[in-house]
Amino acid sequence: MDDSNTVVITGMGAVSPYGAGVAALWEGLSSRKNCIHTVKELEDLPMVNTKVAATVPETDYSFIPRKHRRSMSRMGLYAYCAAQEALRHAGYETAPEKLGFFMGSTLNSISVWMELAGYSQGAHLELIKTSDFLQIMNHSPLAAVCQALKINGPAMGGSEACATGLMNIGLGYMAIRQGLVEQAICGGTEEYHPMFSACFDIMQATSKNSNDNPAAACRPFDASRTGLVVSEGCGLVFMETKKSAQQRGVPILAEVLGFYANTDTDNMAYPSAETLRKCMAGALEAAHIKAEEVNLLNAHATGTVAGDIAETQAAHAVFGPSLKINSLKGHLGHTMGASGCLESIACVNMLTAQQILPTNNLTQVDERCAPLHYQTQVSNTPLNIIMKNSFAIGGNNCSLLFRRPQ
Amino acid sequence: MITREEIIKQTNEALKKEFEFTDEQLISTAQLRDDLGLDSLDAVDMVVVLEQKFGVTLRQGYDLRTIVTLNDLYDFIEKLARTHQ
Repeated sequence: MDDSNTVVITGMGAVSPYGAGVAALWEGLSSRKNCIHTVKELEDLPMVNTKVAATVPETDYSFIPRKHRRSMSRMGLYAYCAAQEALRHAGYETAPEKLGFFMGSTLNSISVWMELAGYSQGAHLELIKTSDFLQIMNHSPLAAVCQALKINGPAMGGSEACATGLMNIGLGYMAIRQGLVEQAICGGTEEYHPMFSACFDIMQATSKNSNDNPAAACRPFDASRTGLVVSEGCGLVFMETKKSAQQRGVPILAEVLGFYANTDTDNMAYPSAETLRKCMAGALEAAHIKAEEVNLLNAHATGTVAGDIAETQAAHAVFGPSLKINSLKGHLGHTMGASGCLESIACVNMLTAQQILPTNNLTQVDERCAPLHYQTQVSNTPLNIIMKNSFAIGGNNCSLLFRRPQ
Repeated sequence: MITREEIIKQTNEALKKEFEFTDEQLISTAQLRDDLGLDSLDAVDMVVVLEQKFGVTLRQGYDLRTIVTLNDLYDFIEKLARTHQ
């Protein structure tokens, strides 16, 4: 088989509520370490029902030169750390020539925007600094990391809310397959602000029954779930052609087999199982594989009532009842634009470890969710192919397939 | 009237906070661009923080090319502060 344009992953970088690094992410997920906590700002807002979130531990970022740091809000700082880790993991100390960079976020820094809004409301626009603007452009994290790490290939970012991270892996995959670039860093980044929780709360999509027990707040597929827990972080993967990786002699972590994306035009916020089914089926077709070859579906499953039902019904229609399925949002919360990539990194690690991580806080499957093999315990099992789903408010769906290196 | 010593002290405090300089870097003959590494974007932000610090408007008539060293900056602020008396 001609695999000259096969796309592989050779590096990964993560910043998550478990801290900086892929190792911290994997250790936290594997040990089911709790990272969800009460947020004081939410406690002070009586109209907001959810009081919990997951945030990246406080970190001193002064090791990043000020000249570059001035253009980075928190999500930019996360992206810098993740990109550097992904580069090093792929065997580079500095970015190779023409490296592509595909990354986005749901929103830009709400904190910095709030500061600017304060200047505007107080009629003190003269207080705006250039660094404020450099931090709140839609592509600020992308641009700032390119400047800092001298990434000089095409840099562009899809921004599709909760699907951003996986969409950008797909974008990078297509760019490599089409020959636009030979190597690219891809993923998503996001920083938490209580406004996120408040907005999802208004849409009745947040977890609200476990405020006194944050560790149990996010419960994908569980009968008692009430919604998602907002989180933050950055996930990035280093992708390249298999040929490039082989020429460089670096270990291949996983192959990207196929990608598909579609849009649900029925409703901005309520997913249609049929559109999700088409998305997953489209990914299988793009990868030229059969449903039965997929060993695990790492679901988007944020723990919302409607979303989990629609996704499992769609998965059942595509794969049948024997499908193994898990979600990592019970551990991590919903890292928004970073989720598709942080969870993809976990998928790659699951392939490497030949181990399926369970869904945290899943004690009783909602009977409205389709009958599937819900993973509730760590399972050591042969794993060859994992499908990863990410779906966004707005109806933007994508599915991507990872395979263990052949 | 604010003294030159006070102008130097307050300017240096603002620059240290904004640009993370150390006391050792802030010698009066230090050149803003070549020694302290401030670029054109930094220069804009420097104006913003110094305007806040001294309650004066620096951005009109401000020209980085005429302010090469920290001493030049102190002189400029001192002259402006006197004008505003």
